[in-house]
Amino acid sequence: MEPDAPLSDHELMLAVRDGDLDCMGELFERHHRPLFGYLAKLTGNRTAAEDIAQTAFQRMLKYRHTYRDQGSFTAWMYHLARRCANDHFRKSSSAPVGIDPAALEAHADDALGAAEAAASRDDHALLHRALGRLDRDDREVLLLSRLQELSFSEVAGILECSVGAARVRAHRALRTLRDHYLQMQKEPLT
Amino acid sequence: MNCQSCQERMIELADSRLDASTAAAVRSHIGSCPACSAEFGSLGAALAALDALPPAAPSPGLAARVAGDIETEKLTQRDRARWASSIRAAASAGGHRPSRWVPVFLQVSGACALLFLGFFFGDRTATQRQLAQLRARVDTMGQLVEQSVLQKRTTGDRLETVLTAGTVKKPDDRVIDGLINSMAFDPSVNVRLNALTELYSHADQEVVRAGVLACLPRETNPLVQVSMIDFLVATKAKEAGPELAKLAADDKADGDVREAAHRAIDLL
Repeated sequence: MEPDAPLSDHELMLAVRDGDLDCMGELFERHHRPLFGYLAKLTGNRTAAEDIAQTAFQRMLKYRHTYRDQGSFTAWMYHLARRCANDHFRKSSSAPVGIDPAALEAHADDALGAAEAAASRDDHALLHRALGRLDRDDREVLLLSRLQELSFSEVAGILECSVGAARVRAHRALRTLRDHYLQMQKEPLT
Repeated sequence: MNCQSCQERMIELADSRLDASTAAAVRSHIGSCPACSAEFGSLGAALAALDALPPAAPSPGLAARVAGDIETEKLTQRDRARWASSIRAAASAGGHRPSRWVPVFLQVSGACALLFLGFFFGDRTATQRQLAQLRARVDTMGQLVEQSVLQKRTTGDRLETVLTAGTVKKPDDRVIDGLINSMAFDPSVNVRLNALTELYSHADQEVVRAGVLACLPRETNPLVQVSMIDFLVATKAKEAGPELAKLAADDKADGDVREAAHRAIDLL
C-alpha cells in the first residue's frame, strides 16, 4: 500500500482555516527558511527579519478565515509578509540602511578552497552592499522576482500592480543593482 | 519586438519562465541586436550572482516563538469556542422568550425542550449559577485574550471588522459570537461600544442578552457599563435584576453607572 501523498500547501492552509492549527506547524517548516532569507535581504537585519517572519505567521493564524479556496498559499504568505515588513519600516521610520554582509551570511561555502572561499565571500559582501544601496521598492520587487515559487503575475499581485509594471520594475531594479555592483568593484578598498 | 519589451522579459527568459513563442521572439531579438545581447549577458551574470548568495538561516528561536504562537492561538480558539458554547447553553437553558421569528411548531418543540432543561437545571436558579460560571470564565478568558494576538491588530482593523460584521443581514453563529467576543474582550472602548451597538439588531437572540449580562460585571469603563445597562433595559432582560442590584449597591462603581442601574431596576 502506498503511503498517503503529503498535503499540498493549499490543502494545509485550508485545514488551518477550518480550525486544524497544527497544520500551520508544517507550513512553517516548509516555508520559514525562504521567507526569512527574503526578509533578511530586504531588511538587511537578521533580528528584524525574524520579528517580521514571526509576525507574518501570527497574521496567517489571525487572518486564516480570509484565505481563499482558490489561491496560492505562497503568494498569500508573501502578501502578508510584505505588509508586516511595511509596518516594520513605518514603525522604525527608516528604510533599511546598508546591509552588513557578515551578519547575513550564515556560513561560507565549505566546498570551496580557502582562496576561492575568500574571493567568494568578497563577492557576496559586495553584492550585499549593492543590494543595500537599492531603494526598498527596487529591492523588494527584485527579491520577490527571484523566488522561484512565485510567478510574475503573483509578484504583481503581491505588489498590487500590473504584471507589466512588475516586469518593468524588476528589470530596472536588476540594472541598478548591476550598475552598483560594477561601480563598487572599481571602488578602492577602504 | 523592440529593445524595451525584449529587455523587460530578460529576467523571465533567464529563468525559463516565458512561454515558447515569447521566448523564441525574445531570443530572436537578442540574436539580431548587439546592444540587447550585451545587456542580456550582463544582466544574466548579475542574476546568477544574486542567486548564488548563500541563504541566511534563522535562529532556532524563531521556530520556538512561532510554535508558541500556534499553541496560544489553539488555546484561544478552544477557550473562545467553550465560552461561546457556554453562553449559548446558558441562553438555551434560560430561553424563556421564544423569538417571534421562530415558527409555531418550533416554538412548541422548543418549549418542550425548555421544560426538560428547566427540570434538569432547576430552572432560573441553575441558569443564574451558569451565568456566574460564565462570568468567572470571562475573567480568565479576558486575561488570556489580552495577552494574545488580539492586541496586535490595530484598533482601526478591529473596528472595521466589527462594523463589517454589523452589516451582515443574516449573521450566523460565528458572526454573533465574534461580536460578543469583541464586546467582551476588545481593549478599545470604541470597539466594545460599537460591538454592543451592532448587537442591538440581534437582541431577539437569547445568546446576545446572555452575553451582555455575562460581560457587565467585568466591564470597567462607565460609558460601556451604562450602554450595557441601557441594552438590558431595552431588551427587557429581567434576569439582569440581581446583577443590576449588585452594581447599584457598589460604592466603587461610577456614580452614573449606579444611577443607571437604579433606573434599570425600576424599569425592569
